[in-house]
Amino acid sequence: MFGYVVRRFFHLIPTFIGATLLAFLISQLVPGDFLTQRALEPNVRQETIDRMRAQFGLDQPVLVQYVRWMSSLVQGDLGMSFSSNQPVMNVIRRPIQNSLYLVVFATVMLWLMAVPLGVFSAVRQYTLGDQLVSAVSYFGLAIPNFFFAQVLVLCLFLLRSFTRETFGFSQLLFPVAGMTSNGWENFTPWHQFWDIMWHMLLPGFVVATASIAGFTRVLRGQMIEYLGSDFIRTARAKGLGSRSITYKHALRPAIIPFIAGIGALLPSLIGGAGLVEIVMAWPGITPRLLDAITRQDIYVVLGFLVISSLLLMVGNLISDLLLAVTDPRIRFS
Amino acid sequence: MAANASPSNLPKGKPAAAALGKTQGRIVWEQFRKHHIALVGLVVLLLMYLAAAFAGFLAPYGMNEYRRTPVSAFMPPTTIHWTDPETGRITRPFVYTYTSERDPVTRQRVYVEETEGPRYPIQFFVRRPNQPYRILGLFQSDLRLFGVEEPARVFLWGTNNLGKDLFSRVLYGGQVSLTIGVLAVWVSLTLGLTFGVIAGFYGGLIDDFFMRLIEVIDAIPGLFLLIVLATLLKDPRNPLAQLFGLQMTSAQTFLMVVMVLGFVGWGGLARTIRSLVLSLREMDYAQAAKALGASEGRVMFRHLLPGTASYVMVILTLAIPGFILTEVGLSFLGLGPSEVDSASWGLLLRDATARGVSIQFVPWLLIPGIPIFLAVLCWNLVGDGLRDAFDPKKRR
Repeated sequence: MFGYVVRRFFHLIPTFIGATLLAFLISQLVPGDFLTQRALEPNVRQETIDRMRAQFGLDQPVLVQYVRWMSSLVQGDLGMSFSSNQPVMNVIRRPIQNSLYLVVFATVMLWLMAVPLGVFSAVRQYTLGDQLVSAVSYFGLAIPNFFFAQVLVLCLFLLRSFTRETFGFSQLLFPVAGMTSNGWENFTPWHQFWDIMWHMLLPGFVVATASIAGFTRVLRGQMIEYLGSDFIRTARAKGLGSRSITYKHALRPAIIPFIAGIGALLPSLIGGAGLVEIVMAWPGITPRLLDAITRQDIYVVLGFLVISSLLLMVGNLISDLLLAVTDPRIRFS
Repeated sequence: MAANASPSNLPKGKPAAAALGKTQGRIVWEQFRKHHIALVGLVVLLLMYLAAAFAGFLAPYGMNEYRRTPVSAFMPPTTIHWTDPETGRITRPFVYTYTSERDPVTRQRVYVEETEGPRYPIQFFVRRPNQPYRILGLFQSDLRLFGVEEPARVFLWGTNNLGKDLFSRVLYGGQVSLTIGVLAVWVSLTLGLTFGVIAGFYGGLIDDFFMRLIEVIDAIPGLFLLIVLATLLKDPRNPLAQLFGLQMTSAQTFLMVVMVLGFVGWGGLARTIRSLVLSLREMDYAQAAKALGASEGRVMFRHLLPGTASYVMVILTLAIPGFILTEVGLSFLGLGPSEVDSASWGLLLRDATARGVSIQFVPWLLIPGIPIFLAVLCWNLVGDGLRDAFDPKKRR
């Protein structure tokens, strides 16, 4: 087992180098850098520009820049942000944290919603309920995340104007923008935590819906297959209750592919969360990334790319390991 | 479709002969036809594509047409009257002109119908010589399906912040949002098929190289890769743009977005094609072709590639909705084809989150989401129908 982990870990290194190189090359596609913009300002002298260019190493060939950047990256240094004059790490840490909160929350929500739905529609195959679940999952598949978020926000506003007129209740049911309430810094830690959870409900729900469809459908198929297999018949013949058969005997093997899927889920969730972040003003990666791109703050952009791809690879690794732990049929070779 | 080829006309008791006489395409179509929901999806899609193609004719206004006076920004959908207010009888549909005023409490602009003023009947097949359009880029015309006489205007789905007609823009937007996904799938397919077949056929180092390359592309979250690529490639100073000439035309930006989408999406396809080819390569007919002295290229593209066809068709249909969603998302971020020469549905939805817009006062700005939803839903339905139709185990 330990050998397997180590091997898988070393397997990541060439991929990581390749991904960083690709990201770096792409960032070089545009001639000119953030200093080209600054050079247009009348009160900046050419010498200053040249000095800064040398200071940031922008006068070197691309490969040299890459090697320099890479070697400091290995030491945990992502370079400096041009526009805010701070280490990149300081700039990108909070957005990445915030995005992770949202994605992890959405994953938990996804499992909480999709597993019962999948089991339900497998057990009640071809009933009205089953068809309803598949209709809803088609809906979730087809609606763009950000549009769904916009619609929910609109619904909340309409609901508010309704409750204001009938009950004089003029609060929004859920917060629709941002991650924290006003004066969050002065809350107690416990209160702070709940405030973030409270703000996360709506965007988390929206991000989760996109993946529910696929999840439920595959789980349903898997469950139906296992429910018709021989070991289930044996279990029934022994006189086991249907609850125990469904959850202990059929669900366990049926759920295995999804454990492997967690790693693959993360990138799609991070991507899907991006647009929702914009609509609901969540201070996550995507809004900051867009901002950094328009400022041509190359190292911040690269920092986001590198850290998010690192997270993604680690996510994949973890789900492989989880799979190896949960599925006794997997060999470590 | 010739009627005498259908099984009912053949002598009874010979079903095997009937089955022998059918091509695969025919069997698949017959299976697909039994899948009613998928058929509905296909019909809706056809209608949507037709509407996009004939957008100029169906839309009462041009894509970027608007007037500063009288002000028409954020106008709600125009009320169309079907009955005569005096007699209560059904009449020819007509509209009134509107005047705008400020709500004293919310400071929102409110539009009020001038019911005292003259009525403007909705006219059909109007010529608007100052707003010509082209259909499919070929036929020029100025005939519009409907319209009203100035100064009245008919906005079926309201207007945006500049007072552009949303109904017309949704129709024009289909031209971008419905085609970009289909085109991007072809880019992705070309890359995926070529590299997938090559990797599967040669195996060894070449296989390793392509698989690692896909892993590398997959290692960067797709949305971020898309955002970065789209921004950089849309910059007029990028090397590709300079190759085309410094000023990028709308068609080139459009192509650029297609390329970016296709480039980011080909990995999964290549991987599945590769594993298919790996198994097909060992089939007897492939071995036989090799033994008969067929060249590598011939075996690859003449014998192995067609073997993946049915599978590829299904994957393709199911990939298109994904690409549509991605394009819409990119446009929503303002990274798709630009505002001036397109009205991508994503771009239209962007208006609803613009600074200073409170959605509860302008809910009609969310209408462009509905065609996105419909298109993606129908492509999914058609894809599922096709998959079942190709699957011999699900024959009905």
